[in-house]
Amino acid sequence: METKKQRILAALVLLALGLGLAALTYFKTTGYKNPVAVITDTKIKDRLLKKETDIYGNKDEERRQYLHVQVLTGKYKGQTFETVNTYYPSQLVTQKYRAGERVFVTVTDGSLALVSPKRDWILVMTLVITLALMVAVVGRRSWHLIVSMAISWILFYCLILWDVAVNGAGIIWMFSLADIVFSFFSLAIVQGVNKKMLVTWLATLLGVFVSFALCYAVIKLTGETYLNYEMGDYATQDTRGIFMAQALLGVLGAVMDEATDIVSSLYELIQHKPEITVKDLLASGRTMGQEIMGPLINVLVLIFISEALPETILYFRDNNTIATTFNFTMSLGATQSAVSAIGIVLTIVFASLCSLLFLKKPQKGGKQE
Amino acid sequence: MSSLGALIIVLAILMTIIGGETGIRSFFSVLINSLLLVLVAMLISWGLSIPIITAIFVPLKLATIIFLGTHDYTVAKNSFYASLIVLSLVSVLILGIQYLAQAAGLGPEAGEILLGHSQMPGISYGQIAVTVAIFSALGAVAEAAVSMSSGILELKKAKPDITEEQLMKSGAAIGYDVLGTAMNTIIYGMFGSFLSLFLWYYRLHYSFGEVINDKLFVNEALIIMYSLLGVLLTVPLATFLLAKGMSRQSEAKNGNEKTRDQEL
Repeated sequence: METKKQRILAALVLLALGLGLAALTYFKTTGYKNPVAVITDTKIKDRLLKKETDIYGNKDEERRQYLHVQVLTGKYKGQTFETVNTYYPSQLVTQKYRAGERVFVTVTDGSLALVSPKRDWILVMTLVITLALMVAVVGRRSWHLIVSMAISWILFYCLILWDVAVNGAGIIWMFSLADIVFSFFSLAIVQGVNKKMLVTWLATLLGVFVSFALCYAVIKLTGETYLNYEMGDYATQDTRGIFMAQALLGVLGAVMDEATDIVSSLYELIQHKPEITVKDLLASGRTMGQEIMGPLINVLVLIFISEALPETILYFRDNNTIATTFNFTMSLGATQSAVSAIGIVLTIVFASLCSLLFLKKPQKGGKQE
Repeated sequence: MSSLGALIIVLAILMTIIGGETGIRSFFSVLINSLLLVLVAMLISWGLSIPIITAIFVPLKLATIIFLGTHDYTVAKNSFYASLIVLSLVSVLILGIQYLAQAAGLGPEAGEILLGHSQMPGISYGQIAVTVAIFSALGAVAEAAVSMSSGILELKKAKPDITEEQLMKSGAAIGYDVLGTAMNTIIYGMFGSFLSLFLWYYRLHYSFGEVINDKLFVNEALIIMYSLLGVLLTVPLATFLLAKGMSRQSEAKNGNEKTRDQEL
């Protein structure tokens, strides 16, 4: 077992290397579709064009920046262009640029247009800070977590390729299958393939699919009232299918983790106390579940609903009523939260029952190690 | 009847049957938590100061999640302080990184939503992005703090004479499990939340370079990492606070009634 000093030293080395990598990313100019440029002004001239009040009574300004931009790559390498950028200080859709920063541009017929600031180096920097902190806190075993995270992303990418290839046909079946595969890999990496892991896997799948079937039935029975699937953002295919797929995928992590917690603890309990009664075992699973479910549901609620906050504020800002705003912005996230919450609650039952059926030996054959 | 209403009723019934009294309290903690988010959106839209609203609602939401969701007072108190400190630290980090990232507001992809809406609403979407990031991380931090605190308290109950040093060491082991748990929940939650955005990128043939510089992707990826950072900071801090608090408690107890301490 490594010492605390070693862990912190390793984390610092990683941090230094990573910040170097972030700096390299910052200065990287090749490998992008658009040319990279740099704003050469040390102080950007910024002029107020007009003050505006829109029909909803929102007061905002229209401002214009006058910029000098030097192109760093491509055909126009080394040339400096003058350009303007109009923005509103609220920056809902417009962008204010900063002196000296690196940007993407397009150049057509000798005139330059700004595309966006270069942001990838910030991702690298934040990722490095996260990984360094992970090494400092959990040490060498960070590897398991990093590999498991990387595999999740790779599988997710494959899933998207598949979905696009078949154009979203049979999306519910596709994502159900994806859930089965994702959970198998995730659990196998952390626990290895053994009986306990298989029991956890079974409990996870029961939790996800039984709750999904239940929710699907409830949604169908109520005639999908007030479910504005078409308000899902960035729809490129059947929005109803996308919603169902998101619900299937979003709950998987939470259910898997909950099942792991409960099954592992009950397994320990059975190992230490093989004579434990069925009633006590179930009670123990239930108590554990009660403790976890509240905070776990809240994690997902905050992820699913916070995401809609910027739009919600915009709707309120434009004098919509609470009901309209909720229906158009938060209701899908709230529905997804409710589906996930039902999954999390039902998993308590399945995790306890699966442990009872498969891990607990009949009284006489109690295994003692 | 609306589908959402029906689902909420089903949830309430299940939580009552399976969770008992704790279940009912957890149900209300989730409900209040969601309503608080709507309230935050309204207050911000009225033009009140976004930093002040955030500073008020973070402890309020933590209290709803932690004190309503758990029934052990020591666990709750410790988790509350730990998450509050962690969120303050993470907020500073979020402020710095969001400043550099310039990824506030809605992307050009959100065109449909904006149709017929004000494009110049007169409130700072830069500040709103920070608030969204803090709230997204809040749930994960609170969950990790509760798991850590209850795990360590269990350990302390099983071995009352454990030293602070040993406790910190076991804290690292419990921390690994808590971290594994939180990580899956966060990552799959995000996959489930942003599936349509990823499909959008793929279908519109965004290149890799474009995706990792896109405002929305950068924002989402950063939110995942803020949550992970928050959970990572919670692990040692919750252990430390609980170890400190407990050694102080047992000292006080030793002074007064030594026998009871031994019984535990």
